[in-house]
Amino acid sequence: MLLSSVILVLQETLEAALLASVLMALSYRLGLRIRWFPVGLCLGALLAWVYAANMGTVSEWFDYVGQEVVNALLQIIIALALVLLSWASFRNHRDVAPGQIRTLALFQWCAVLAITLTITREGAEVLTYLGGVLHQADKLQTVMIGSGIGFSIGISVGFLLFYGLVGLKGKWAAAASLALLALFAGNMLAQAALQFTQADWISSTRAVWDTSAWWREDSITGQLLYALIGYEATPSAAQIVSYITGFLLVLLAAVAGRKMAAND
Amino acid sequence: MPRNAWLVSALLSLLAASTAAAATPVVEIEIRDHLFSPQEVVIPANTKVKLLIKNLDPTPEEFESYELNREKVIAGNSKTVIFIGPLPAGEYPFFGEFYPKTAQGKVVVE
Repeated sequence: MLLSSVILVLQETLEAALLASVLMALSYRLGLRIRWFPVGLCLGALLAWVYAANMGTVSEWFDYVGQEVVNALLQIIIALALVLLSWASFRNHRDVAPGQIRTLALFQWCAVLAITLTITREGAEVLTYLGGVLHQADKLQTVMIGSGIGFSIGISVGFLLFYGLVGLKGKWAAAASLALLALFAGNMLAQAALQFTQADWISSTRAVWDTSAWWREDSITGQLLYALIGYEATPSAAQIVSYITGFLLVLLAAVAGRKMAAND
Repeated sequence: MPRNAWLVSALLSLLAASTAAAATPVVEIEIRDHLFSPQEVVIPANTKVKLLIKNLDPTPEEFESYELNREKVIAGNSKTVIFIGPLPAGEYPFFGEFYPKTAQGKVVVE
């Protein structure tokens, strides 16, 4: 019970923590304060609680695939928020003073939206799990300790990534943040495609490749890769196409922002 | 008229195809005391199957399978649906992520 609670909470925390650290690194690069973070955290926690409390009802929607549809919609909105955020990040000259950032409001709203919905999705799962254990006195302590450990590791990895990104110099910092943003958006759209497949809204096809012989999804490397880049050992064509779409949209948005900044 | 006959048979086969699609085989799995029952379900290869999972425990569970690429939270005392397949023959383990020690099972595709 200890190990399984560590793994479960770590998985969910990791994805949110990694996104938060990339967004924080971008904010830092723009010289922005991160007021969006506590706002997203609180809103996300609130919505996660609402989602978890109504998990049974949501599941019954659309002939018992409501959960898939809601998750997929959340993931699509997160991906679109990241595309806009990418544009907003690169719409400014590299040496812009914080007071003169044009896309400040857009950046912050997109960051709030992406963080809120990421925490909603991941948090709802953790809260559902913890809610189930709440009435089992014999398991409660172990699970709370395990969850605490999982949460702490997830947050620590987030901090490491943030300091790693902030420590990078000039061009590399921007490139690394942009690459992570693009991977995250790709991951979100690929996961949305998978949710629609699970709901039978898009038809299921055979896996295009199978890399489980190299990295099993349940290995530590597999889990880390899953959180960071949405690693999937046996992806379908729909997942691959969605992934590439999300990835390219974020890159194109950044290039468009850069071009417009150059033309000012 | 041969032309009409062709049209009628085309419509009939379309109808047959749509009823076949509507009649996706359903496989029931129960969760009781953090155990799947049955722990092993056999389904035909290259066929889409609807898993109807009934969680009879008061606690929630999460159906998860890396091999099937499936993950879904099932609230306590509720039922849910997960579509799997069409799949090539093989064994596809699944587990309950909330109680993985006991909640283990597999889909055998033949």
